[in-house]
Amino acid sequence: MDLIQRILENRFSVTAVILFGIGFANLMLQYNLVKKVVGFNIMDSAVFLLLASQGYIEGAMPPIVAEGAVEATAYINPIPSGLVLTGIVVSVSVSAFSLALIQRIYHKYGTVDLRELVMRTEKEED
Amino acid sequence: MSKKESAWTRFAAWVNGEHEPAESRLFSMGMGPRKERRPEITLPKREEKQRLHGFLSWYPVASAVIGVILVGILLATVLAMPSFGQVENPTNNEVPAHYLQHTREETGASNAVAGMILNYRGFDTFGESCVLFLAVSCVFILLLRDENNTSQKDLEQAQRREQRRKRRQDVILQEAARLLSPFILLFGAYMLLGGHHSPGGGFSGGAVLGGALILYASAFGQDAIRRFFNEKVYNTVRVIGLMLYAVLFGYYIFTGANGLENHIPLDYGGLILPIDIAVGLVVACTMYGFYAMFTRGEL
Amino acid sequence: MTLLEDILLLGLIVTAVAAPLCKRLMATVIVYMSFGLLMAVLWVLLESPDLAVTEAAVGVGVTTILFFLTLRRIHELKGTKDE
Repeated sequence: MDLIQRILENRFSVTAVILFGIGFANLMLQYNLVKKVVGFNIMDSAVFLLLASQGYIEGAMPPIVAEGAVEATAYINPIPSGLVLTGIVVSVSVSAFSLALIQRIYHKYGTVDLRELVMRTEKEED
Repeated sequence: MSKKESAWTRFAAWVNGEHEPAESRLFSMGMGPRKERRPEITLPKREEKQRLHGFLSWYPVASAVIGVILVGILLATVLAMPSFGQVENPTNNEVPAHYLQHTREETGASNAVAGMILNYRGFDTFGESCVLFLAVSCVFILLLRDENNTSQKDLEQAQRREQRRKRRQDVILQEAARLLSPFILLFGAYMLLGGHHSPGGGFSGGAVLGGALILYASAFGQDAIRRFFNEKVYNTVRVIGLMLYAVLFGYYIFTGANGLENHIPLDYGGLILPIDIAVGLVVACTMYGFYAMFTRGEL
Repeated sequence: MTLLEDILLLGLIVTAVAAPLCKRLMATVIVYMSFGLLMAVLWVLLESPDLAVTEAAVGVGVTTILFFLTLRRIHELKGTKDE
């Protein structure tokens, strides 16, 4: 009972860890390179979810402050939001770079499957 | 003048490797015997192959084990963390309180996120703009079409695709693009310029601007967009965005981090607004550059 | 509100599991796009409108376009097989 209570209290973080596991498994175990990139993106999103859920305060407003004296606990924590904001844009550029690499690999070997790729490189060496 | 010019032409010729000034032979740039570019691989092939196959057989098992252990450790850590959404959590300490309470008078932005990433932690965002710049440069290196990496077949294929696109123009896409792209551009500009008082700012506004360019290019072809946004303009805008950021933030740090309130009143965003514009230019150019490289391999 | 959050979190897990299990790469990318869209709605519920806007424009829009263009280049879409 205590365990279930803790899981429900931390449901965002638990979901983030599960998503991280799914993404990691896809990155490692898929043989298709495009699916590997999808898994990597899922891992990225999981980290962002964990970070952003740490800054949330129950019943608080978005961090756009009003004029005059400000009660700090009336707004959510702006630091995780800033970190995630930069992270999202960087994750897009990382996936664009890996997709460009995939295009070059296809141009050279004609496949994006890892096992076939190994077979064709061996054939080329022979 | 003529002597200087001749010296210049000689220097240019020397740089191009055509002519070597005999009288000033400080160092010579002779061409040695050309080495083999790629040394022959002398690894024992059979052993190498066996190693690779062995690796491929145990690698899924090992990665599954590592993944399960990793998720277990992370779950244990997460369940020991303070519960979600409470005010007294250790992340809500005096740093975010300071940011929230002083962002209006110190940075001129009422959006605390924009004030934080562009002013309090501006170096971080500058590094990130450099990452974007580098990423688009790397994609250029990989996918830009030139004489070295394109065969005749590829060129013919691209030409055929272009002709087919011209023959079968998509009416729905074109009408939608004609109707929507001015509004998307306007919305992107609004998000870019209003990022200090409302959600938005450099990253999202720049991405929306890039999205409008992508929509226009995919509907009317890249020839249409090249009329006002060719390679020269693209590179100029990209470099100017990054340089503007560097100069503005350098000035800001050099003057003791006092903001630009002498020249730009803080009500209009102070330093935030120009830096937002710089970031937005870099991000918009990055997004459009990715699209252009991925479709045709040229700008 | 909590119920909506729970539904969205479950949806995130379901789409993350389903995306790489699809046979065709096109379906994988579409399901991944819905994952990003659920994420964008979740950012709004976490009171971070900046993140929601950025995720919707960059994470869903541009990433999906790049994936589709790559699929066209590697001849995985219908009609691009024989050129």
